[in-house]
Amino acid sequence: MNLISTLIAVTLALATPLIGGLLAGVDRKLTARMQERMGPPLVQPFYDVLKLWGKESMISNRLQPVLAFGYLGFALIAAGLVTFQQDLLLILFMTGIADICLTTAAMNAKSPYSYIGGRREFLAMLSYEPVMLIVYIAIFMVTGSFTVAGIYAYGKPLAMVLPLALIALQFVLVIEMKKSPYDVSGSSHAHQELVRGVFTEFSGYTMALIELGHWAKMATTLMILGLFWAPNPVISAAISLAMFFITLVVDNIYPRLTWQSMLKTTWSVGFILVLLNVVALVIGGVII
Amino acid sequence: MTALVLIGSSIALLGVGEFTYNPGHIYETAVLVLDFALLFYFLYVGVKSKSLPVIVLSLLQLVPVAYFEFVVNGTHVQNIIVVDSLSILLTLIINIIGPIIIIYALSYMDEHEHHLNLKKSTQNRFFFFMILLLSAMNGLAYSNSLYWLYFFWEITTLCCYQLIRHDGTDEAKENSVQALWMGLVGGVGFIGAMFIAYNQVNSIALTDLIAAPEALGLVFALMTLAAFTKAAQFPWHGWLLGAMVAPTPVSALLHSSTMVNAGIYMLLRIAPAIQATPLSSVIALGGALTFAVTAVLAIRQSVSKKILAYSTIGNLGLITLCIGINTALSYTAAVTLLIFHSVAKGLLFMSAGIIENKIGSRNIEDWEGLLGRLPLTTTVMIVGMVSMFLPPFGMLLGKWVAVDALASSPLIIGLPLVLLVVLGSAATTFYYAKWIGYMTVTPNSLEKKKNEELENPYRLSIVGLLALNIVLSVGVTFVINRLVIPVISGAYPIVVSTTGLNIDLDFTSFPVFALWGGTVAVLLIGSWMASSKGGKLASPYMSGANVPGAFSKYRSTAGGEFDVSVSGVFLKSSIDEAALEKLAMIIGVVITVALILVEVI
Amino acid sequence: MTLIQKAQLKSLWVVHYDCGSCNGCDIEILAALTPKFDVERFGIINIGNPKQADVLLVTGPANHRNKEVLLNIYDQMPAPKLVIAIGTCACSGGIFHNCANVLGGIDKVIPVDVYIPGCAVRPEAIVDGVVLALNKLAGIAPVEDEEELQ
Repeated sequence: MNLISTLIAVTLALATPLIGGLLAGVDRKLTARMQERMGPPLVQPFYDVLKLWGKESMISNRLQPVLAFGYLGFALIAAGLVTFQQDLLLILFMTGIADICLTTAAMNAKSPYSYIGGRREFLAMLSYEPVMLIVYIAIFMVTGSFTVAGIYAYGKPLAMVLPLALIALQFVLVIEMKKSPYDVSGSSHAHQELVRGVFTEFSGYTMALIELGHWAKMATTLMILGLFWAPNPVISAAISLAMFFITLVVDNIYPRLTWQSMLKTTWSVGFILVLLNVVALVIGGVII
Repeated sequence: MTALVLIGSSIALLGVGEFTYNPGHIYETAVLVLDFALLFYFLYVGVKSKSLPVIVLSLLQLVPVAYFEFVVNGTHVQNIIVVDSLSILLTLIINIIGPIIIIYALSYMDEHEHHLNLKKSTQNRFFFFMILLLSAMNGLAYSNSLYWLYFFWEITTLCCYQLIRHDGTDEAKENSVQALWMGLVGGVGFIGAMFIAYNQVNSIALTDLIAAPEALGLVFALMTLAAFTKAAQFPWHGWLLGAMVAPTPVSALLHSSTMVNAGIYMLLRIAPAIQATPLSSVIALGGALTFAVTAVLAIRQSVSKKILAYSTIGNLGLITLCIGINTALSYTAAVTLLIFHSVAKGLLFMSAGIIENKIGSRNIEDWEGLLGRLPLTTTVMIVGMVSMFLPPFGMLLGKWVAVDALASSPLIIGLPLVLLVVLGSAATTFYYAKWIGYMTVTPNSLEKKKNEELENPYRLSIVGLLALNIVLSVGVTFVINRLVIPVISGAYPIVVSTTGLNIDLDFTSFPVFALWGGTVAVLLIGSWMASSKGGKLASPYMSGANVPGAFSKYRSTAGGEFDVSVSGVFLKSSIDEAALEKLAMIIGVVITVALILVEVI
Repeated sequence: MTLIQKAQLKSLWVVHYDCGSCNGCDIEILAALTPKFDVERFGIINIGNPKQADVLLVTGPANHRNKEVLLNIYDQMPAPKLVIAIGTCACSGGIFHNCANVLGGIDKVIPVDVYIPGCAVRPEAIVDGVVLALNKLAGIAPVEDEEELQ
């Protein structure tokens, strides 16, 4: 890769927290409008993060801030792997490390709220990671490669070949963005269960790092969703934003469900949809 | 001293390369005599422990061996010692990890005997069998004759039996007999294989058998059976779980880094000969099911060594799966996983042993907050656990290659197996991550109660093995080029290559340098940020009911003061351990029957 | 004013504690969060976790049982922080100021920045009080209002 594209890739990767933050602002504005109220300004999440940065920080032990930065750092590495068009499995594993940093940091504090939040975060990971893995394997079967570059090289938009996989990924998006009905581990603002769930024991700059990391992960996932229409960047962004919007609508309609329901539904829907899709492709001759 | 000799000689062997050698006739006689002695000893053990399986299985070996040698005279082989890249790899693993564990055992056994208040030290017997095991493993790696291989195999079974019953408790004696008869099943498998091989091709030399595998299907099936018993795949997993009563160095040496590798070595050896056969598919299925079920079972365990045991069985299942798939890519994955698993598992068992000795408990619920109390050991343990399932470590590279191999194998086989691997990996992440979280919980008081005084052997062994783990993971290019590719070449096409520090497959690549660089950068920046911005140590949020002054005590409604206690996640309501164990036995029996049937029909 | 200070004014996170109130004021606080008054447009969220909150909203009088809890929650909030006493009971104890178990207003336990009287406080008054708090945070003293309170 030449210098220009390398720079673009690096900038895009480092910009994912900002993109995610803007999307979070859109999230809050749209949610407010759906509830017939004004809502905060679009850049509100950035005010929140700046305010948190300026506050005194209270930590449970000296490992916690390192792990909080780890969450952001590994999310950025995952974003970098996407922008540099690397292997999808590695992207999944790097976001896995980020999540483990978060749950370990949450379990560091001897607080029942934080602990149960961490436990539920594990269950959330257990729910969505296998489904993403199956989708990536389906992508491999279609494009012959596990890399993002391979998806671009494939030429045809993936959404036309693997539409059911995209639907399965909608469930994954809901869990990753921590939106109802699957925000069991620590919802975005305005909801209060287990106080703040997995985010309870963070404050000040560690909370700011966690917020930024969350946005980076969200933006990375949306970028991966956008890969389903790789040839055309406009439609690609449209797909990401459409699925983002669906998540918001679902969030405002559904109450929070139990973790057992999250696990069962995500696995059954995810596995069945992807399997059906692959079988259809085998019958249709796209996959041999 | 022994350690240096062993390590030095095996590295030298790497430099020398492959060779064959024929020891004189006197050695063959010696092996014969020793083998009969061994079998009579097993028979004696069976009678003394009143164990019918042991008696029957020993007789099943004794009589045929006598017949084979004296009537048929089939035990002679032309080239008995054949050292090829696979042998060199196995000896490297054994002779580097083994001595480190024995150094560790020097301190461990002292503390162990102190705990048990033994009047007379039994360490001599202990170390005799540990080193005998290392020698037997070396012999196993070099043997080309099926008879010699079987002999060394049975010596490892002997060592296993003696080491498990070392402490002499009733439970130890019972579990050692279980390990003994399961090992003897493997021995009987070898005998059967020898007979059939001699019958078919008039030779029991491995090189001959693998070069001309037609009509030898049943031979390989029986050898697979032996491999399964040694590698504790279903239904032979019981002995490994029971072996956890032994002192921890035994678990580290036998049940993670060396003896169970004998089973994997066997499978790796015969894999090129059984490519694209139904036997291979059965092996793959057995491995996959073992991996998935043990991963789920491990979530339910609260005894540290049991979790590690299930993890071992599971990872061996993953390696078995890769061997069973039997493509160039999956074989690469299997060898890579073997190397990194041995290093990481040995490390984990050693650290777990130290922690158990220092705090006196194996229950991970008592391991809360260890990072404050035993910083070095806990850090080593955490890094070891991270290296089992997270990038950028080598174990993940192996898993990544394995998933790639599964995805690129034929659909009918690949898809259901990949679902099992996905389930197993997810469960693996679950139980390791929660364990790590548990160990880093803030201790109950703000002052660190450090009571960690590690003796030098401890320090040397765990830091040494940890360093080896990290070096191998960073320099995985070297591992692939110098260790893995030589083993594959000749039998399979080379499908993995390296550019600089990155590993390349046909359709994807693993940017080792970028990932390690990124990880180190994140840790450094995070630590710098943590130390520069710091923060106030604060009590957890308890809805305001915190007791002032205490770090995590709260006041109940009646005014009493209670410690905050958080317990582990074992998903007791969702995972039925008994049902899964039954499932494991059923799977195991079906697989065993299938192994034999596919070659008989 | 630095960027962080500006952000502090635009994003005020609230934790709310009921010290023994009859819940009248609590209902009004919730009403302020509803679409009709919508304080979220000022960036105010009821975050419920003192470790992440800037403002502590207290209702009800302080008594012997809840004084430790109140102090604990106040201590768990990181600086800079504000306390707003909502309702007459929180300001001075109200009609319960003479009771045996009541200490008085919450300023007997923790320092208070803004007093909002009323029984129950109207949501408009709550919003007004929050604006006062913001001004205090920004360092602009609302002179006329202080004299009226005294």
